Amino acid sequence: MTPAALIETAVLLGLLVLAGGGYAGLYGYGRLRARPALVAAATACWIAALAIALAIAVVTPLDAGWKVLVVVSAIVYAVIPPATWRYLERLHVAEGEGP
Amino acid sequence: MYRSQKLSLRYFTAAIVLFGVMILFGLLSALYYLYPSMLFNVFNFSTSKILHIDTLVIWLLMAFMGAVYWYLPKELGHEVVGMRLAEITFWVFCAVVAVVALVFVFVQYGSANEFTLWFINQGRKYVEAPRWATIGVVAVMLVFAYNVIGTAVKARRMTGIMWVLVLDLIPLLIVYLDAFPAPTNMSVDLYWWWWLVHMWVESTWEVLIGCVMALVLMDVMGTSRRIVEAWLYIEVMLVLGAGILGLGHHYFWIGTPRYWLGIGGFFSALEPLPLLGMVIHSIYDAGMHRMKTANRPAFYWITAEAFGNFIGAGVWGFMMTLPQINLFSHGTQWTVSHGHFAFYGAYVCGVLAVFYVAKQKTAGTEFLDGRAWKWSFGLFNFGMIGMVMGLLIAGMAQAFYGRAIGGSTLMAFTQASENPWFIAGMYARMGFGVIFALGYVVLVYDLLTAPRRVPAPQTPMEPA
Repeated sequence: MTPAALIETAVLLGLLVLAGGGYAGLYGYGRLRARPALVAAATACWIAALAIALAIAVVTPLDAGWKVLVVVSAIVYAVIPPATWRYLERLHVAEGEGP
Repeated sequence: MYRSQKLSLRYFTAAIVLFGVMILFGLLSALYYLYPSMLFNVFNFSTSKILHIDTLVIWLLMAFMGAVYWYLPKELGHEVVGMRLAEITFWVFCAVVAVVALVFVFVQYGSANEFTLWFINQGRKYVEAPRWATIGVVAVMLVFAYNVIGTAVKARRMTGIMWVLVLDLIPLLIVYLDAFPAPTNMSVDLYWWWWLVHMWVESTWEVLIGCVMALVLMDVMGTSRRIVEAWLYIEVMLVLGAGILGLGHHYFWIGTPRYWLGIGGFFSALEPLPLLGMVIHSIYDAGMHRMKTANRPAFYWITAEAFGNFIGAGVWGFMMTLPQINLFSHGTQWTVSHGHFAFYGAYVCGVLAVFYVAKQKTAGTEFLDGRAWKWSFGLFNFGMIGMVMGLLIAGMAQAFYGRAIGGSTLMAFTQASENPWFIAGMYARMGFGVIFALGYVVLVYDLLTAPRRVPAPQTPMEPA
């Protein structure tokens, strides 16, 4: 791994998780305030996360196994916020605390 | 107020004092990077760093214990069993910490023999306290376990949170025993030492703070027991699922078999996934309960914990957890940056929320708010973000120049330490460290002064 590739790869890995966090944060806030624009921005964040994962797969010198793991992680990111939200809603409704 | 809650206030006081000591020696340690010959042969950098890190471990442990003593009688509807013993061990704990600190300051180190091991410094990173003191800590933890389990038995009541807490006490006690052996083979020593550092601090503590936060959420936000317990079970499952084998990322370069590269990298890569769920949960709960909270500082610190944990452990951790990156980044200021952010997010924010819960109850005010806590909150967060950014830049410079270009030689290390990027990062860390310290001063001021009588909001804000 070249010195430049080291920094590039690390930054891309960090940005991948940050974009995932942006997706989760915007999705949650958008659903909370019922603002479709925020949910759309959340989707854009997830697309950015996927693009970063693909960039990691194409550009960086990581081993193939790690590249697959990174891309699969980015795909799994798509599911986590909506699934968590649905679970929370069900749980809170069952407790009489629903929105 | 229960007798155990009075004890917990003493634990909180001791924790806050040690928090200050930790910051003081953190600032001193940071100064050594700017003035390497400072206090040469008078007070070494290594001792300053020991005091910084060991007080971190102890103040958080004391705060956790205080939090459990605070909530235990409320949770079980029964005064804590063995209070006299608990009160004695509190003073024993304080005395042990004070004596060890004095030995570290005035004696610092000794010859490589049994006397040093028992009475001056064990020589194992993060658990440097001499062996007699380590035995003392085990005794304190045993009494703590007796208090918790004995109270549950006496009260004839077990909640979901209590089950998790009691089961967590087993590894909390057993894994700490790993502080004792002193194998002469460095690989064997590090192999087990990481059980102590990773399993104790990153797994059993995660579960412990999870229990504490579950109790705080019910208290501060009025979240139902079923909801917090459901999340606590999920958290325990995820911590144990990804966290235990995530230990492998510490085994990359200590002489362990090659398969740890795959195991450690894979399970570490899974660790950000549950953190995304936590971000969603915190937003949901924040929205649902925003105006129902009667303790605004505690509420903000709880929210900060979710985000701090995500960024510090998730983003910062994932940047450097894969073996091909970690080969260059481990042992640099990059890992220091991750460590600072992750500890702050995962533990410090949660513990500060508990301090404000106790403040509200002791002050007897129905609604806790004000201005000072906002300053403290802002200074702490601004200071921490600045520090970790400075450390990240310095660490990347070390990995880039010292490791990737220089090939990890001593000369390359020295040259990287003189690199302008490294020096700039260290200055930034120092400056933002001072800001963080100011946050501490305001926190102490805010906790010590009586709260202003702020009327609770009469009209609910926007519904969630």
